[in-house]
Amino acid sequence: MSAEAEFAPSGFSSVERSGRSAGNIAAAALRFGSLIAFAAILIVFSITAPYFLSVGNIGNVLGQSAISGVLAIGLTIVLIAGGSNVVTGGIDLSLAANMGLSAAVYASLTQLGYGDAVAIAASILTGSLIGLVNAIAVVYAGIVPLLATLAVMNIVAGLELVLTGNTVIPASTPILSALSASDPFGIPVLAYVLIDFTVLATAVVQYTPLGLRLYAIGEFPDAARAAGLPLRRLLAGAFIASGVCGGLAGILSVSYLSGSTTGSGEMLLPVVVTALLGSVFPRRLVPTITGTLLSALLVGFLSNGFQLLNISSTLVSGIQGLLILIVVSATTLLRRQEA
Amino acid sequence: MTVIPLKQPSTLQQDVIRLEGIVKGFGGAQALAGASLVVRRGTIHGLVGQNGAGKSTLIKLLAGLHQPDGGRIEIEGQAFDRLTPHLAEELGIHFIHQDRLLVPTFTVGEALFLGREPRIAGTPFLDRRLMQRRAAEILNDYFGVRLPNTALIGDLSTAEKQIVQITRALLNQPKVLVFDEPTAALVRREADILFRLIRRLRDEGVTIIYISHYLNEIEQLCDHVTVLRNGQDVASSPISETSAAAIARLMVERDIQDMFPKPVVALGDEILKVEQLSAPGKYEDVSFTLRRGEVLGLTGLLGSGAKELVRTLFGLEKPASGRIDIGGRPAHLSNPTQATGRNVALVPEDRRRHGIALDLSVKENTSLSSLDRFTRFGFLDRKSEQREVDALIARLQVKASGRDALLRTLSGGNQQKVAIAKWLSRHSEVYLLDEPTVGVDIGSKVEIYTLIGELAARGAGVIVLSSDLPELIGITDRILVFFRGRVVREFASSEATADRVLAESTGSPEGQRHVG
Repeated sequence: MSAEAEFAPSGFSSVERSGRSAGNIAAAALRFGSLIAFAAILIVFSITAPYFLSVGNIGNVLGQSAISGVLAIGLTIVLIAGGSNVVTGGIDLSLAANMGLSAAVYASLTQLGYGDAVAIAASILTGSLIGLVNAIAVVYAGIVPLLATLAVMNIVAGLELVLTGNTVIPASTPILSALSASDPFGIPVLAYVLIDFTVLATAVVQYTPLGLRLYAIGEFPDAARAAGLPLRRLLAGAFIASGVCGGLAGILSVSYLSGSTTGSGEMLLPVVVTALLGSVFPRRLVPTITGTLLSALLVGFLSNGFQLLNISSTLVSGIQGLLILIVVSATTLLRRQEA
Repeated sequence: MTVIPLKQPSTLQQDVIRLEGIVKGFGGAQALAGASLVVRRGTIHGLVGQNGAGKSTLIKLLAGLHQPDGGRIEIEGQAFDRLTPHLAEELGIHFIHQDRLLVPTFTVGEALFLGREPRIAGTPFLDRRLMQRRAAEILNDYFGVRLPNTALIGDLSTAEKQIVQITRALLNQPKVLVFDEPTAALVRREADILFRLIRRLRDEGVTIIYISHYLNEIEQLCDHVTVLRNGQDVASSPISETSAAAIARLMVERDIQDMFPKPVVALGDEILKVEQLSAPGKYEDVSFTLRRGEVLGLTGLLGSGAKELVRTLFGLEKPASGRIDIGGRPAHLSNPTQATGRNVALVPEDRRRHGIALDLSVKENTSLSSLDRFTRFGFLDRKSEQREVDALIARLQVKASGRDALLRTLSGGNQQKVAIAKWLSRHSEVYLLDEPTVGVDIGSKVEIYTLIGELAARGAGVIVLSSDLPELIGITDRILVFFRGRVVREFASSEATADRVLAESTGSPEGQRHVG
C-alpha cells in the first residue's frame, strides 16, 4: 500500500468545510424547531385537555389520521420523485378528489349489490386510473404537475358529482364495519391500518433500490440519467402509486363515514400540509414516509386538541395554511442558501 | 519538436479505440469533417482543440450520445456502425463529465452505487452497510480519503465530489476512462493529486483519454496528444515529440485567413479607467484604461476572471476593492440599471437568455431599453420609434422580413445584430461584448466586426471578450490576457499572434517555447 501512503497526506480531506456550517445550523434549527413545536403542542394540550394523552385518544387521533395519512404518503411519493421545487416539482392535487371518487365508486357498487371484493378492486382501479391520467399528462404531455393534477382534480370531482348527484350514498358491508370497529383496548382498526401501510411504504421507499432511484430522479434528474435510470417510467410509476393511495384512502373513507362523502375537497389542504411538513423532520430535509407519518400525527393532534378544547375547527384550517407558508418558505430559503 | 501528421501506419492490436474519418453534421454546421482518433492501450491520450473544434462531439460519439454520419468506429479491433450509451458501457468505456452528476442529498455510498445498488442477500432491500463499507474501501485505497459514513454529497467540496464521480466510474472496472476538463474547478494541489491518480490508473492498465484546455497539463500528463481543428485531426503525436507551444500553434492556425475590417480610429479621451479592481476568487488587482475609439480585447480560459470582470463592469458582480471611473467620474455599479445609467452596454454571450427576447419583434427588441426616448406625454410615439428602428435595421444590415419579424425567426448572426442595435438606440458609450460571434455564420461575423469598428469610430470605447483568438487579434487594438484571475500579459494586437496569446492564457508562456 505504498500508493496509499502517497495519496494519504493529500489536501482533499482538509478542503475547507467552513461556509456550510451556517446552512447546517439553520437546517438543524428547522428540524429541532419543528420537533420542539410538536412536543410543545403535545404538552400544552395534555395540560389543558384532560383526556388528550389517554391511550384511547391517541388511538383516536391515529384512526382519524388514517385517511389523510394514506393520502399524504401517496403525495410524498410524488414529492420524492418529482422533486421538491414547489412550483415545478412533484405535486398531486387530485388526491383528495381521487379519494372522493373512489369512495363513491365503492359505495355505488355496494348499493348495486356487488360484494366487497369487487368494490375494493374497483376503488383501487379507479385510483390507479386517475394516477395513470396524471402520469400521462405530466410525463408524456410534459405539463407541470401543479397544473396537470389541478385539471385532473376538477375532472375527477366532476365525475364524482355525476356518480353521486351530490348526495351521500350510504354503504354498509362486513369489511367496512370491520375497518371502522375498534379493538378491545378501544383503539380503532384504522389506526392499525395506517401503521401497517406506513411500514409497507417505508420498506419500499426508504429501503429498496427503487426508492433510492425515486429520490435520484426527483433531486437531480441529470445524475439519474447519467446512472442509466429510466426517468419517465419511474416518475409515471410515482403518480400511479399516488393514485393507488387515493383509491385506498377512498375505501378507508367509505368505512369511516359509512358511505361516500361530498366533502372530499376539504381534505386537500390538510394532505398537502402533511406531506410538505413531513420533510422538516428528516436529517436531509427531504420528504420521507416516516417524516410524513410524524407530520400526519402532528396535524391530527392539532385538530384533536382543538376539538377537545372546543375551539372552532375553522381555526384549524387557518393554522394549516400558516404551516404551509412557514414550512415552504423555510425550506426554500434554506435550499437557496445551500445552493 | 515537430508534430508528425497523422497518416502514419499504427500497430494494430495495441489500439483500444480507432475512430477514423468521422463525419458529423448538425443542421447546416459540420461539427466533424473526417476526424480520426487512435488511442493506444495503457496510455494517457490528450485531446485538445479550441471551442468548436469538435472535441465534445467526438467524445459524445464515443459515448453513444451522437451517431456519426460517416466514418469507421473500431473498439478493441471490433468494428461498429454506431455506439449506444449501453454498448459503450459494455465495452468498458466510461466518462468523467465536467458537471458532477451526483445527487446532493445522497450519502457517498448511495451516490456511488445509484443504478446498481447491492441488496441484502435474499431480500429486495438495499444493503446500505455494504455500500458504505465498499465506498470507504475504494476511497481510501485510491485516494487516501476518509469521508464520514453520514456525509452527504452536498456537504462535500468540489474536489471531493470529483473523487466520488471518478470512483463511480472505477466501480465499473473501466477499460477506457475519458476525463472531460477535470481540473476546471480544482486548485493546483488537488489537480496534482488527480494527475497522480490518473497515472496510477494507467499503470494498472486503464486507457485514459484526457481533454483539457490547459496545455501545460497535457504536456505534463499525457503520453500522446491529438489536436483537433475545424472538425478534423490536424496532428497526432507522442508528447515527447511536441510542446505546448507547438500544440497551441496547431490549434489556432486557420485554413483561410479571415478578413478583419478594422478601421483606423484616432483615439480620444479616456472613457473608462479600472484601478486595482479585485474580487477574491474571481480576479485580482486588475488595472487598465479604455479610450474613446479604442477596441480592447480580453481573453482567458473559463474561470480566468475575464468574464467576471466584464460582468462587474455591467454591475452584475461586485468587486471587493478597487475603483472604476467612467468618463472621468467614479462609478458605483452595483446593478445593471446603474451601469446603463452611465451609458455602459452589455451584449452577453448567451444572447438567447439574456440579450434578446426571442418572442418579441425586431422593433420591440431594438427599442425596448430606450422606450423613454420614444415616449411623449406617457404614450409611445410609434412613428418615431419605427423611424429609428428602420434606420438601425438598414444600418446594421439585419436580414429580417421586416421590423415586425419575431427574433426567433432570425439567424444567430442577425439576432446578435439586434442585440447590439438595442444599445445603439440608447447611445451607449462603453460597449461590453461577450463572445459576440459565438454561433454566428462567417458572413454575419464580418458584418459584426464592421459594426464593432463603427462603434469605435463613433467615439465609443469597446471591450470585446472572446476566445476566438484570430478574431480578437483582428478586431482589437490591445489585448489583455487573463490567467487564474490575473492579467498576465498585455499585447498590442498588431504584435500578437494567436499561439502566443493562447500560450499565455493556458499558463505556458513563451519563455520555454522554441517555435521552429
